[in-house]
Amino acid sequence: MKMKLTIQGMHCASCGNNIERSLKKIPGVKDASVSMMTKKGFIEVEKEIPRGEIEKAISRAGNYKLIELEKE
Amino acid sequence: MEHHHEEPIEDLEIKSWRRKLIWSWVLTIPIVIVMLIQRFFDMIIPELYSMIGILVFAFFVVFVFGWGTIKSGLRGLFTFYFNMDSLIALGTVIAYVTGIIAFSGVIADYSGVAAMIMAFFTTGKYVEAKARGRASTEIRKLLELGAKRATVIRKGQEVEVDVSELQVGDVFVVRPGEKIPTDGVVVKGESSVDEGMVTGESLPVDKLKGNSVIGATINQDGILYVQATKIGKDTFLAHIINLVEEAQGTKVPIQKLADKITSVFVPVILGIAILTFANWWIFTQDIGRALGVGIAVLVIACPCALGLATPTALMVGSGMGAKRGILIRKGEAIQTMKEVKIVAFDKTGTITKGMPEVTDVFANGVKEDYLMEVAASVEKLSEHPLSRAIVSYQGGRGLKAVKKFKIIRGKGVEGVIGRKIVVIGNRALMKERRINVGVLEAKIRGFEEEGKTAMIAAENKKILGLIAVADAVKEDSIEALQRLRAQGYRTVMITGDNERTARAIAKQVGIDEVIAEVLPEDKSKKVEELQKSGMVAFVGDGINDAPALKQSNVGIAMGTGTDIAIEAGDIVLVKGSLVGVVSAINLSKATFSKIKQNLFWAFAYNVVAIPLAVAGVLHPVIAEIAMALSSITVVTNANLLRRKKI
Repeated sequence: MKMKLTIQGMHCASCGNNIERSLKKIPGVKDASVSMMTKKGFIEVEKEIPRGEIEKAISRAGNYKLIELEKE
Repeated sequence: MEHHHEEPIEDLEIKSWRRKLIWSWVLTIPIVIVMLIQRFFDMIIPELYSMIGILVFAFFVVFVFGWGTIKSGLRGLFTFYFNMDSLIALGTVIAYVTGIIAFSGVIADYSGVAAMIMAFFTTGKYVEAKARGRASTEIRKLLELGAKRATVIRKGQEVEVDVSELQVGDVFVVRPGEKIPTDGVVVKGESSVDEGMVTGESLPVDKLKGNSVIGATINQDGILYVQATKIGKDTFLAHIINLVEEAQGTKVPIQKLADKITSVFVPVILGIAILTFANWWIFTQDIGRALGVGIAVLVIACPCALGLATPTALMVGSGMGAKRGILIRKGEAIQTMKEVKIVAFDKTGTITKGMPEVTDVFANGVKEDYLMEVAASVEKLSEHPLSRAIVSYQGGRGLKAVKKFKIIRGKGVEGVIGRKIVVIGNRALMKERRINVGVLEAKIRGFEEEGKTAMIAAENKKILGLIAVADAVKEDSIEALQRLRAQGYRTVMITGDNERTARAIAKQVGIDEVIAEVLPEDKSKKVEELQKSGMVAFVGDGINDAPALKQSNVGIAMGTGTDIAIEAGDIVLVKGSLVGVVSAINLSKATFSKIKQNLFWAFAYNVVAIPLAVAGVLHPVIAEIAMALSSITVVTNANLLRRKKI
């Protein structure tokens, strides 16, 4: 299953990489890709991940905020 | 799709940088003036006052207007999520602190320099944010393309509603010049519609009752009554947007090295800065000078240019593509494209229009009407394009009941009418059923040499006649093939059709090689065989050709009307034109060479700049200006991709 995230606060390419790194640490997340250009991230997950966990992972990487979460 | 009526995030970001930039300079310029005056006319301002003044002004620049950067950078240092602010934050904080320690007189005062670094950094960020905004222009336009309002007919009355309130099945009115609110089917009226913004097609498309229309396209001259078939996330436009956004997250392999370097960049530079500082201190015994050099090393190193190189070029490239109906789904395809030597095509629907029509009917000892009635009755039960050609030619006249209908994949159809067994298909099917084609063979060849597909109809093993069907070549296929050959590609056609027909079509459009009589499931095997002699791009319609598209190095899926097989290709052409293949190849190559240029520049910058800073040649402020310029250069260079003609 895929989830699409809209993230606020990214200002440089390393932000995207850091968020990716942090998202990949959530158990159940198989793959993550984040683009600072579109402010969008996609995660490939084995099971549904609660919004709170994703928010936690995103803010662990820095001062970023999850503003939208869509399931696909 | 949701519509955000507030300002886009990008604009807010630019605005916030501009505000910081203005205030930073308002406070930094007096600092610069005071510093200059002090250098040349030591006496005018007592040193203590000027030191305090600079400290206060610099405090606002660094810790108030630069707070976002300082906070995120230092936080990154402590949490080991190093980011591109970490070096600047550390550099400015250290420089500022020297201003406080300077009261004790042991070191040089860099607090004014801290303000200048931050002011230049902010300026660089502002310019960069603007350039990045330009890089995403096309994609943002795509996001804003959707219609906002729709005029729905409810209980015979026209009611204006928000697009988000539309339901599948609603009938809405679209007047001339209005945007079609969502995907649907025309139920009344006729008009021409400009679909350019979605498909890249420049000519308006005529729409009549029964035709599908795409949301966000513009109705030209007539009134259309349309029934909504897809809404919200399911619309064509929403799919395209999703595809483009998803592609931005995919990695171009060449970026991996840059990403690896970026991930260790900050700690490595920290190490270099500390060593540089220590060395200079030990060898010159001048702590002030050592600090200046150390700070220069911190602020000159620019991982940002490395990080921006690929995503900005990819953004501009995919935006340019989206505008022309070329959707790049995977960043990897851009890199692979330059290695491609062979372009293989599916025939039906890719090179040809995919709408075959009956051109000749040859009845063998029966009435032509009888032959066509029998053929159409059986073919009516099949969805194959050839079958549909026969059915539509007959137009529903004299259809009979058919029992025991069967499709023989890649060969034909079979059924029972009354007590007679009817078989319609190609030679292979006739051979299988032991039906002798005999003297008609010459006739069949004749059709095939004209590029027509001959179908043989037999009833109780006796041949009723032949039906020749031709699928016209798309107008621009010839031009596209010419351009591909001129660029040195080996072109191959892979088709299930018989050898002669395939060769005739190949000759017509100018394709080098033909692999004919391939069963649908074997297409990917043929691609695999071609791959032994070089990388292959396969162009297909995405619905039947999915395995071949996957097998090829770059799969280019052709869109047909409103249904695009999104999952199948690495690149999707919204408009089913082969010229799009040429553009897609050129765009991929241009984007990739831009990425390479950018990465080269970013690497070269760091390789040259860091040693210069270590050597102590550069003043920290000059170092910061160089760093800001390097990021701006990369983003600006990405924007220059637009000048490339594709």
